[in-house]
This record gives sequence, structure tokens and C-alpha cells, in this order.
Amino acid sequence: MWFLSARWRPLVSQLVLREIKSRYKQSILGYAWVILNPFFQMLVMTFVFSLVIRVSSLGVPYAIFLYVALLPWNLFANSLTHSTNSLVSNAQLIKKIYFPRELFVIATIAAKVVDFTLASSILVLFMLYFRVHVNLNLLWVFPIFGIQLLFTYGLALVLAALNLLYRDIQYLLNLVILLWMYLTPVLYPMEMVPDQYRFIFRLNPMAVLINAYREVIINGGVPKLSSLLIAFGTSILTVLFGTWFFKKLERIFADVV
Amino acid sequence: MSSKPIITFTQVGKLFYRQEQRTMKELLPALFRGKKGGAWFWALKNLTFSIQPGESVGIIGKNGAGKSTLLKLIAGVTSPTEGKVFVQGKISPLIELGAGFHPELTGRENIYLNAAILGMNRHEIDAFLPAIIDFAELSEFIDSPVKHYSSGMYLRLAFAVAIHVKAEILLIDEILAVGDEAFQLKCLKKLTQLKQQGVTIIFVSHNMQSVLDFCERVIYLQEGRVVIDSTSHAAITHYTKDVTRS
Repeated sequence: MWFLSARWRPLVSQLVLREIKSRYKQSILGYAWVILNPFFQMLVMTFVFSLVIRVSSLGVPYAIFLYVALLPWNLFANSLTHSTNSLVSNAQLIKKIYFPRELFVIATIAAKVVDFTLASSILVLFMLYFRVHVNLNLLWVFPIFGIQLLFTYGLALVLAALNLLYRDIQYLLNLVILLWMYLTPVLYPMEMVPDQYRFIFRLNPMAVLINAYREVIINGGVPKLSSLLIAFGTSILTVLFGTWFFKKLERIFADVV
Repeated sequence: MSSKPIITFTQVGKLFYRQEQRTMKELLPALFRGKKGGAWFWALKNLTFSIQPGESVGIIGKNGAGKSTLLKLIAGVTSPTEGKVFVQGKISPLIELGAGFHPELTGRENIYLNAAILGMNRHEIDAFLPAIIDFAELSEFIDSPVKHYSSGMYLRLAFAVAIHVKAEILLIDEILAVGDEAFQLKCLKKLTQLKQQGVTIIFVSHNMQSVLDFCERVIYLQEGRVVIDSTSHAAITHYTKDVTRS
């Protein structure tokens, strides 16, 4: 949260804590659900895509092949759905007190990053168990992750603001995210996509990022830099547009909520 | 008073759109029948006044007179359609029951959350925590989730946090109505103390007695316009006359 001015840091950390502490309060397994959820998702998908439909998985167990993509994808999808609701669910606060409204979005995404980090522990265990070799190229995950966060934040700003005006956005988003996942190589490798359709994936920053994660974690290679650079550029533009759009609508939030 | 005003409204107007159809199902037939989707109305019109630091000003008027909109403009959560609002200094609104709280979190956790929302940092909250818990009279229940609290306990917690924020302007919106009499008295005493320390207090209430007790000046609003801005006694007399006449 280095980019936040010191003034807002205590507030954002309290909002993140609220999100994390409150979520699984009245449940026995509590926060363990953050790990269990993607784990069971992975088990079922592995059954379907490696035993029923045989999808090639770059020479590693399908479970690992999938997890490397599924975890960042879940982070992306969860961040978007929760951010979209973040302004609406804080309507009472928005009407009462002023602080930059994007703090709600930032706090929501930060809480999802915490979830993601915990869920990733299973992936690390899997990789140790199956002895997947990694090398220094693994460090590429940090810039890739950074680009993903930028892209997510930019989109989340637009969606959160729009959802305050029209609640259709949150329902539409569920559908879009489902379709988007199939148009991103999460369940299957990029290599299975026929050449004439590859362009769809080049236009999709999430596809570029997911491929990059696989390349650096599973293959130990260097991600395709030109694609990554385009994804980075797209993400910066998304953040700029999102901020402009959000700030433009921010003045009427309290009136329409 | 010769000091610079802490709040200044100059020719302030706020236009609202009353949307009648919010979904397609409602909107489409309305379009066919040539009905407009809603109507514009002035929630506030032509408001000009200024408030000096340390003043306690009551805002009175019927429901829909524009009292809450006025508070929103002072709090800076909404901007005026016309005119200028100038506010200088840190504001602490008394946050409505539930708004700054999460039912699943404990009283203690909620103090941290609420105080952070009001702009305190962790050190300040740590320092004020005992005083807040003490004022709220909640030491027994401070570590249980606030969903088990009564509405009176909620109010005490919210009030206790809000008055411990080092704010120059305190906005109080009808919230005192919830607590029992003993706590109301305690709050009024605390507010009087803050007043003496130079805190500016904007007090919105339907309870004329507490407005009279607490504020030396009252602004009476009717349909978004100032009817009278005067001493509390004069304004309240005017208001009571209007209410009894209708």
C-alpha cells in the first residue's frame, strides 16, 4: 500500500481487517475456506479435465498445471465481483462521511490478495511433492502479478462506479466472468487453441498473464516480453481510464446510492 | 464575533432528481405513455449563512425540509448544484447506527474500524480506547460481537467514538433519540464540554427541548429554504407556531 498517502493507510488497513475478520465469523472452519474452496475446485476440475476429457498439461500433473492458472484467475474474478459491490454495500458510510471512495475498492482487492496468498500455500506444497523444478525465472511472477493487480484495479473502479448507478452490472458481471474464464487458458493450454483463433487471446490481458505465470513457474522460462509489455500498457490505460471515470462520478455517489 | 467563519454557505442550492422508474419493466411502459422518468426538485435553495468556530447551531424543520442534505453538504459527501460551500476543519459526523459498524465484529474491533473511518490512526485509537469503552459503559461486552448489542448499546459506542475524535466540527443527526434518558443527559453534558473547548456543533433534531437547551442559534428550514435563522428561542417559537397551525 505504498502508493497510498499516510493519511489513508490506517483506514484501508481497518477496512481490509473488517473484510477478512468478518467473512467467516460464524463458521467452524472459518478462514480455512479460503484454502479449501480453490482446492476442491481444483479436485473436481482435475477429475474432469485429466481423467474424463484428457487435456494436455505441459508435462506436469494437471493439478499443478491448473492451480498455477486457477489461483490468479480466482483472485481476478473475486476481486472484480467484490469490488463491484463494495460501494453499494457501504452506502450508509458514503452518505455520511467523505474520504476517497476508491479506498473501498483498494481495501477489497487487498483482502482478496491476502486470500490468494493463503490459497497459494497449497500450490507450493503440491510443487514440492511432485518435485517441480523452478529456477530464477520464477521471480517473474512479481512483475506479472503487479500487472494483474493494475488491470484488476482499473476494471474494478469502472465496475464499482457503474454498479452504484445500475445494479444490473453485478448480475451481468457474473455472466461475463464465466465466459471470460473459458476465453482464458485456465483449464487448457494455449497450445490447444487453433491458430486462427489465437488473436482472441492476444487481445485478452488475462490470457497473456496466465500464460506468463505458466511459463515462469512450470517451464522455468522467460515470458513473452512483447505480450507482457502490451498487457502492461493495457493495464496502465485501464487504471488511467478507471480513475478518471471513477473520480468523475464520485461527486454524485452520495446522491444516487 | 470577529474570527473567520468555519462554515460558509453562499447562495447554495441542491437539485435532486426523483427517479420514479428504476427498472426496465417500469421504464418501458412509462416511455410508451410519454411519461417522464422522474422530476427535478430543489432539496435546498438559496442558502446563505456562516457559522463561527465554537458555535452550536440547531437545524430544525419537518421531514424532507432538507436537514440531512444540509449535513451532507457540510460533510462534503455531496456537492452543491449552485453556490459555494466552504468548510474548514476536521469533521466528525456521528455515524448512524450500523453504518460504520460490522455486526460480526466485536465492540473493540468496531471501535478501531469506526475510529479509522473518522480519521484516527492506530496510536490515537490505542490511547483513547479505555476512555471510549468507559464512556460507552460497555466494558463487559466489549469483546462480544455487536450484533448482540441492543440499539442503545450501539448508540453509546458510536457516540463514544465520535466525540473522542479530535474534530473541529461535530455533526449530530437525530441520533440521541435512541438512548435512554440517563445516557442522553450524559451525552449532552459531554457535548457542552466540547462546546466549551471550542468545538463547533451542528445539531439536527426534532426534540425542541434538547435543541433549546443546547444551541444558542437555530436555523429553521422549510422546503429547502431558510425560514428563520436566529436565536434558538425565536426560531423554535416560530417553528412550533407553524406546526400547530397545520
